[in-house]
Amino acid sequence: MKKILPFLFLFALPLFSNAETADDILTKVLTKLNSVKDYKVSATIKANIPMIKILPNEATIYFKQKDKFKVESKGITILPKQGFTDINNFLAKKNYIAVINDTITTGGVKTYLMSVIPNSAGGEMILAKLWIDPERSVIMKSQITTKSNGTVTTSYTYGDQVKYGLPSKMVFEIDIKKFKLPKSVASDINKSSAEKKKKIGNKGTITITLTDYQVNKGLNDSIFK
Amino acid sequence: MTTEPIIRVEHLAKRFGTFEAVKDVSFTVNRGDVFGFLGPNGAGKSTTIRCLLSLIRPDAGKVELFGKSYANERSAILANIGSIIEKPDFYRYLSAERNLEIFARISGANVGKKEIAEMLDFVGLGDRGKHKVKGFSHGMKQRLGIAQTLLHQPELIILDEPTTGLDPQGIVEIRNLILRLRTEQNKTVVLSSHQLSEIELIANRMVIINKGKTIVEGAVQDLLDANDLQVRIETDDAGAAKSVIVAAYPTTDVTQLNARELEFPVHKDQVHLINQLLVNAGIPVHAIEPKRKLEDYFMNIISSEHVA
Amino acid sequence: MLLKNTWNEFIKILSKPRSYLGVGALTLLIGIIIFAMKADGKSIISFVTASFEQTLTFNGHILNGYLIAFIILQMLIVHVPLLVALVTGDLIAGEAAMGTIRMLATKPISRTNIVLSKFIAGAAYTLFIIIWMGFLALFVSTALFGTGDVIVLNSDGLVILPEADVLWRFGAGFCVAFLSLLTVSSLSICLSAFAENSIGPIVATMSVIILFTIIGSLDVTVFDSIKPYLFTTHMVSWRSFFEDPVPWSTIRQSVIILVAHNVVLVAIAIVRFNKKDITS
Repeated sequence: MKKILPFLFLFALPLFSNAETADDILTKVLTKLNSVKDYKVSATIKANIPMIKILPNEATIYFKQKDKFKVESKGITILPKQGFTDINNFLAKKNYIAVINDTITTGGVKTYLMSVIPNSAGGEMILAKLWIDPERSVIMKSQITTKSNGTVTTSYTYGDQVKYGLPSKMVFEIDIKKFKLPKSVASDINKSSAEKKKKIGNKGTITITLTDYQVNKGLNDSIFK
Repeated sequence: MTTEPIIRVEHLAKRFGTFEAVKDVSFTVNRGDVFGFLGPNGAGKSTTIRCLLSLIRPDAGKVELFGKSYANERSAILANIGSIIEKPDFYRYLSAERNLEIFARISGANVGKKEIAEMLDFVGLGDRGKHKVKGFSHGMKQRLGIAQTLLHQPELIILDEPTTGLDPQGIVEIRNLILRLRTEQNKTVVLSSHQLSEIELIANRMVIINKGKTIVEGAVQDLLDANDLQVRIETDDAGAAKSVIVAAYPTTDVTQLNARELEFPVHKDQVHLINQLLVNAGIPVHAIEPKRKLEDYFMNIISSEHVA
Repeated sequence: MLLKNTWNEFIKILSKPRSYLGVGALTLLIGIIIFAMKADGKSIISFVTASFEQTLTFNGHILNGYLIAFIILQMLIVHVPLLVALVTGDLIAGEAAMGTIRMLATKPISRTNIVLSKFIAGAAYTLFIIIWMGFLALFVSTALFGTGDVIVLNSDGLVILPEADVLWRFGAGFCVAFLSLLTVSSLSICLSAFAENSIGPIVATMSVIILFTIIGSLDVTVFDSIKPYLFTTHMVSWRSFFEDPVPWSTIRQSVIILVAHNVVLVAIAIVRFNKKDITS
């Protein structure tokens, strides 16, 4: 795959000859993201995942450069393992090859679809596909494939904080094929074997609506302890 | 003493599987009786007594207490009975007082702590009321059992083998207690036993059963008087004495016990005639011992039943 | 007379050392579970969430008192029947073995009332065991671990119940758990009416529970038709209150079957005891 990619890159160049390169676009995105030193935001988390039943929950999310992240909630909340800081961290390392594959309109916004492949095989990430709005330098959609966690697709909607590249809504689509229930605990005699074997879907979504951003207010490190 | 029947048992029968425990038992107990219920071990006494107390359902026959039957007046009958079956068993982990409280609560009478204390005094356990029953001797349990039977002031007391397992002093104590029930409290008492000496000393009427059947029923005194005595005679020459007696009374079954002793049944009016007969024949009589105990009568009946 | 003898039965149960054996064992077991949770609760939780945590992160106070109470109930509900049977299996047969049944049955109280008073006293003991278990599981756990949402692992996945929605589920769950333990109590009293010593009914009760549980857990179609009628199938019904949505029809069916078992078992005990010749 890695051998083929440079050739793909060569083919792709003429298509965007007058445009910016993938690296330029990603640098702009990253610059915007890096303008956020810290933030605190209220989140409403709705999870719609087969095999997990949870009511929508309120949480407060804290972030501080470069990788401090904390979710504070009264009850239990579920978040995808990838999504919030992974792309930022990955892009910040600049150890990747990025290729623009296509231009696609997603959610009424014209985007570049680009593939970002890590240069080294040691990391967790295998491939990231990013749909980037070049006008606002924000990621509209991402699809990250990792070694151990499968593929997570995230759609982003932006509001007031678009100038920081911070979304007002994120919809994560996660792969649940690997979910298994420990049999010894899941004793449920009431259900017949037929009921137990009913088919469930492979995908689940987590929707996070983010409001009341407080950006760059100087969060204390003690919050993250 | 009235002759109002308080218990009437007619042709009682009970079978456990193939074993006929009671075949045909009938008797009547009158108000005020101390009634002896006699029989060897395995005669069917306990089964009969259990039928009297509704512990066992008879297969046939009639059991009537106070003119009522268990079929429709069980509680009314049992409210008027106090009983000990075989041995008094109590809740070992509870005190004597608490045990009496438990049984008094379901006895159908209002029995308070005062009455319980008085009853413990009556049976000589006044100072042991707070003690747990597990530390009681058999005799103490037996006395506590009698206290339990009397708590609710029943008319009828049924005691199944009340002296079994007691030491001689315990037997005397229980016997005296039963006599006091009759004299001081005017109770009707049914007393089962396999020991005739026991019954002879305290009962006025009795029934003897064997192999599940009634053998004889009546007043203890009548049964004693109606039968010949068993007499033992000691002489210098038992053989000669036997010849003289048999010659005079050919139907008499004389048993020579040894060279000096004879034993034979005889009516009490004839004892002095036999003495005179032997003296006239020149055979000196050193001793005449009439055995008038009910024990002998009982043993005769039982042994004749065995032969039959 | 029924009430008077029921009071007597309470006194007897309260005075018997074996009655405290169950309470003591329960206290010890719950203490051990709480200690284990305090020492290594997180790894126990991750056993449940491990396969999800590759993709998801669970945030919040997961190891809380409510979850531990749920775990305690789940672990102990299998063992509590033994503790109940230890006392209730002795109620009639113990009296036969001790000989006091003769005294009891010659008092002016009907045999039906004797059985009913023993059933009521057994039910009260069972209720006490459940309340004690609930007290230790809920109050001690929440005092030590605080409260929070409850993650419950069912056969079709995880259910995360909000803290505010949990207490009534525990209450209702305890009620159904009581009903299932009451069935154990009725079974042992019923068997007790057939026996002359208390070991028999206790062992027989546990044997029936083990046998029915095995039949219930075997995935064999020949047993499918009888499974819904085995009381052991419904002994885990309390758990249904921790599903979302609550399967009310399943719970109703379980309650009906458990109540029916109780009625039938007590009726058998009454008939048997009324017909029984007391020869002990």
